[in-house]
Amino acid sequence: MCALFGTARDISLFRHINRELISDIITQQCAFYKYKLEETKVNIYGEAAEEKYYMGPVLLNCIIERKDKEFIETDLGIDFNFGAIFKFLRDDLLDKNKDFNIDTALYGADLVPEVGDIILYQDGYYEVDNVSANQFFVGKNPDYPNNINPLNPGLEDFGSSISIICETHQIPGDKTGISRERFL
Amino acid sequence: MANVQIWPGSSNFFPGNTPFGFYDNDYQFQQDADKFSTFAARRLGYPIVDVELQDLNFYTAFEEAVTIYGNEVYAYKVIQDYLSLEGVNIGNDVPTVNGNPSLAFSSITPNMGSIIKLSEQYGTEAGTGGNVDWYTGSIALTSSVQDYDLNAWAVGQGYENRDLEIKRVFYESPPAIVKFFDPYAGTGAGTMNMMDSFGWGGYSPAINFVLMPLNYDLQVLQQIEMNDMIRRSNYSFEVQNNKLRIFPIPDGTVPNLYFQFLLKSERLANSISGNTGLIANVSNVPYTNPVYTYINSVGRSWIFEYALTLCKEMLGYVRGKYSTVPIPGSEVILNQQDLLSSSAADKVALIEKLRLYLDETSRTKLLERRSLETDYRQKELSQVPQLIYIA
Repeated sequence: MCALFGTARDISLFRHINRELISDIITQQCAFYKYKLEETKVNIYGEAAEEKYYMGPVLLNCIIERKDKEFIETDLGIDFNFGAIFKFLRDDLLDKNKDFNIDTALYGADLVPEVGDIILYQDGYYEVDNVSANQFFVGKNPDYPNNINPLNPGLEDFGSSISIICETHQIPGDKTGISRERFL
Repeated sequence: MANVQIWPGSSNFFPGNTPFGFYDNDYQFQQDADKFSTFAARRLGYPIVDVELQDLNFYTAFEEAVTIYGNEVYAYKVIQDYLSLEGVNIGNDVPTVNGNPSLAFSSITPNMGSIIKLSEQYGTEAGTGGNVDWYTGSIALTSSVQDYDLNAWAVGQGYENRDLEIKRVFYESPPAIVKFFDPYAGTGAGTMNMMDSFGWGGYSPAINFVLMPLNYDLQVLQQIEMNDMIRRSNYSFEVQNNKLRIFPIPDGTVPNLYFQFLLKSERLANSISGNTGLIANVSNVPYTNPVYTYINSVGRSWIFEYALTLCKEMLGYVRGKYSTVPIPGSEVILNQQDLLSSSAADKVALIEKLRLYLDETSRTKLLERRSLETDYRQKELSQVPQLIYIA
């Protein structure tokens, strides 16, 4: 016997509600620059001090939680920290061929956020410090159904990994090397 | 799984889209189904917000609302007319609508059939009609024997034991009139009886006629009855569990005692009549679902409103399957409680409104209103100055 709750039909309802809520009601957006690691030149210390390359940007709907500015006193003087958390509906970031993204041009970014990626939000660039995807509905991620599953066959149709949450901090625009004009 | 489609903003009804298909082939229903879907979706917030229902949900609510409307109207009619309908032969006497017997378009004139039927039981017990036969039996009286077992008599006659219910026992004193002695009448029972009692039946006392007032005869009769009651053994009997005890103790002069009875089994059996083709209870009063085309605008308006409450209810259940809906990094509570409580209240209010409306058209209410109208009209007319005509 498979699971009882959290069927794909239920998840579809959540997807509708999430997309309506995030896209039509909250309507917060950001532009996502995916870091091109293979084209970035690094020095002997592993630092990409000279040139960084990014893909994108990709405009995404999300929920943004802005933190207060922090002014930290260090030995070198007063530092500045301004963080933000960008919360994405994971299904929006999956690829276009997913059956729930195939019928619309709005979703299906085919994007995997990683540490080091850059998010543009309100003229500020935010570098991704941490990525987490551990919000599972009914505690199940259908990507791991443990097939062939003799105990609960068909678990791939139950549960959902709802979100991808990126914790970021603001960095100066010159560090990214991304010009605003390109985005506009 | 792909996204399950929710209301896209329009629909296109096809026969077969409703669960029962009661009205699918009704052109007006087909037209109104899509219009209602648009109406309900907009009343629920579309296009400002999504409505997590499909056209099939709207059609289902619409069909249910029409059916409930018909049920309410026809249940009311059944209550109104049941006394006149019980026992009607459905196959022979009820017209058909779309091939099925239905009273939906029939005007029913009240009749007394069931009232008479209800009254038959009283006639049976009173011996003045009814639907159960009374039989006559007799037992031979034995001198000096007071007690007679009528159950045993019944078994001897082929009836079931204890099936008898004695309705009447013919064991009474001779009527006073047969003892009436009228010395002034040359003929008549009184004189002749007296002559017979003395063994002079062949003699004639005389031929005299004196007309006396009737109250004189009545007083003489009462005097005879009182005399018998006080001075003689009064004729009476007791019947308990069909054991008959008679007074006075028979002296052998009366050979048989007659009585009337009915059979309890027949009384029960006669309470049941009919066959499978008759209207026997409210469940087989032949009302089919209403014909949507013929429902007037008042009815359709009620149907739209009721169907909307059903849609609210459905949407409430959809949004309330899970108490919270996960969103990235948090969760939200939708308005399922508001929808459910609102729909429940609306349903009750709409049903009450319809029943009140129907009740106002009951025969009693209509007659009351007509009577009131007449009273008020008379009152108003009485305000008109009555001219005095001088010829």
